[in-house]
Amino acid sequence: MRSATAKLLFKRIISSVIILFLIITFLFFLVRISPGDPVQKFVNPTLSPKLAEQVRTSLNLDRPLYMQYVGFLTSAIQGDLGVSYTFRRDVISVILEYLPFTLIFTTISFIIQMIVSFWLSIKSVKKINGFLDKTLSNLTLLIYATPVFVIGVFLVFIFSELLDIFPSSGASSFDADGFNFWARLVDYAYHLVLPIITLSLIEIAIFYKYMRDNLEDVYNKLFVLNLRANGVSEKDILIKHVIPNAINPLITVAGIELGIMLGGTLIVEVVFGLPGMGRLTVGAIFERDYPLVIGCSLVVSFLIIFSNLLADIIKALLDKRLLAGSLN
Amino acid sequence: MKKGIKIWHFLLFVWILILLIRFELLLNTYELIFSWITLLFSDSNTALSQLNFDLFDSMFSGVFFIVIPILSYIYRKKLGFLYEKIFPAALFLILLITCFLFAPLISNKNPDFYKNIGTTKLLPPLSSVQVLHFKNNSTQPGNSFFPLREKVVKKSFDESIQYVDSASVGEKIIYYQNEIGKEANIEDLVMQGEKPYITQQIFMLGSDQFGRDALTRLIYGARISLTVGFGSVIISLFLGLTFGFLAGYIGGLLDSVFSRLTDMLLSFPIIFLVILILALFGNSLLSVIVVLGFSGWMSLFKIVKTEVLSIKEKNYFISSKLLGLTKKQLLFKEVLPVIIVPVIVNVIFQFGNVIIAESALSYLGLGLGNNYSSWGAMIQSGQEYLSLAWWMIFFPGITLIFTLLSANSFGLSLSRKLNPRLQND
Repeated sequence: MRSATAKLLFKRIISSVIILFLIITFLFFLVRISPGDPVQKFVNPTLSPKLAEQVRTSLNLDRPLYMQYVGFLTSAIQGDLGVSYTFRRDVISVILEYLPFTLIFTTISFIIQMIVSFWLSIKSVKKINGFLDKTLSNLTLLIYATPVFVIGVFLVFIFSELLDIFPSSGASSFDADGFNFWARLVDYAYHLVLPIITLSLIEIAIFYKYMRDNLEDVYNKLFVLNLRANGVSEKDILIKHVIPNAINPLITVAGIELGIMLGGTLIVEVVFGLPGMGRLTVGAIFERDYPLVIGCSLVVSFLIIFSNLLADIIKALLDKRLLAGSLN
Repeated sequence: MKKGIKIWHFLLFVWILILLIRFELLLNTYELIFSWITLLFSDSNTALSQLNFDLFDSMFSGVFFIVIPILSYIYRKKLGFLYEKIFPAALFLILLITCFLFAPLISNKNPDFYKNIGTTKLLPPLSSVQVLHFKNNSTQPGNSFFPLREKVVKKSFDESIQYVDSASVGEKIIYYQNEIGKEANIEDLVMQGEKPYITQQIFMLGSDQFGRDALTRLIYGARISLTVGFGSVIISLFLGLTFGFLAGYIGGLLDSVFSRLTDMLLSFPIIFLVILILALFGNSLLSVIVVLGFSGWMSLFKIVKTEVLSIKEKNYFISSKLLGLTKKQLLFKEVLPVIIVPVIVNVIFQFGNVIIAESALSYLGLGLGNNYSSWGAMIQSGQEYLSLAWWMIFFPGITLIFTLLSANSFGLSLSRKLNPRLQND
């Protein structure tokens, strides 16, 4: 069994590495075929032509294309993504400064999504086509049709402007530096309530729909009827039999949704002015800071591939059939 | 026949409504078309040089306004959907498409028109200002085309009017703009009988920070959203059908390459890719359509490929292949009729997704630029004035939600209607 796990893991890691390699290649050629002089993309246009020439040499732009590609690839693998000229620092150090926020933010949101959608789907599947079930499925349709930024702006309007409960933007108060640890934590939490609701709502709608349909499917299976006929309590049926059967496909969806959520954070961070990867990317695009844009895209793709890999591994660990299948 | 209001009733209602409200404008439009055509024969250089998008737009919406009802009357037997009962989603989509086709007829202003910002900025819905009409001294010589164009084509600026808070007529006209009093000679104004001609301008849905009418911008925004939606959906449809058919039909390496690519793109947040490409290649209407079209073919690809794989084994397909049909003929004659239902439903959902993506891009400022009144851009500028002007986010937001809701529910009801398995139940 252990060798099977190792084999599966190895296979998945190899394919992830290949995909990452393809993405780097794609990015390289995307930048190269885009109109305009590549030097202008990596250097502030206000700098002197002499410096531009130096940069051209240092970026290997005077060499043939395949040499440039190899250079780009090796430096990307070494973690050298160039220098951001808006921050005047290494791209990687800028990204490392902004990344933790996004990671923590998405993780909290992800946990909340999981708990809420799970709870709601179990509640509503207890009485299919009941009041809660119907309300929630209509609400799901509504939320699903609402763009993230519209939810965000409406929430800001209701809770910041009308009711004045939560702050409308930023991740912390301007005088947060003077607070002690706990006060600071409370301050952060207070600022992140609206962003997390905004980010979570749409994913809750997706997960809820998926989970509810899964649970309903499993409830309609014959073995549940058999269990009921044998006098097993409803609670035991749900916890011991229905949930383990229904949860498996959810993990795949969760892996994919984690990637889509990173796209969602991009918009949420802009709506609420939060210091994360999304706003960094958008800001970099407006500043025409191409090294930073490419660095951000690479890091985000890496995160997504990693989360998909993680989801696959978790799924394989939970479902022994997959491991057995990989032996053949 | 089923009873109840049918779709064609509603279409007729909308048509008559526009006809009644904009009767004068319509007449002027037809006169304009006529005078332009005469000008084209007499002085073709001038006529062609005057033909810009706005003029073309006005003339074409005038032509469509007559042609579309006639055509749909002639072909009413083929257009079965006209006799369907109306439902909310169809109602809203009809309104949107009406805005899309007849925007110059429905709205009486240019979406970018602003004047006297001090008086008109951030007006709440249903508020009105008074309009003073000054005499226009500049008269164009010659053909009746130019004065007609002044009447029909809305300009983004107008020298001859002033929006005022209040005006009092005495020896001279004294009017107030933003609590600053100004004077004007009565002779300069357009007269109606003895009195100066003063009209009311109502801002139905309020105005934005530049004093532009929100309703007009919403109507023109519908155009942007639908243009981007239709355009990129057509591209996705083309790509999805071609790739899916080829991958299913030829199989082998091509299939595995495309399948890997699809899985990769489906797990990747498309918005990152889209903004990267827009940042590198510049953002314009065309590039947004192309990029969104190229990033949305994956689900169609999957549908088409799986269907083609199963159809490939069927006898009728093999026999028509042996008859010597080309790949294109096979796709259009043998495959498409079978998969048309899931493809149409998928295309409608894709349409909704594209509209979301376009509005999100415009919200981020990476959409079509400031030249267009996109809904996303309206919400973005509304967010800056959140405490002053709730209507600036409320109406575009609600319109966006309704559009997507009706696209989704239209897709759902269509799939229910067209699916033969569900019909038999």
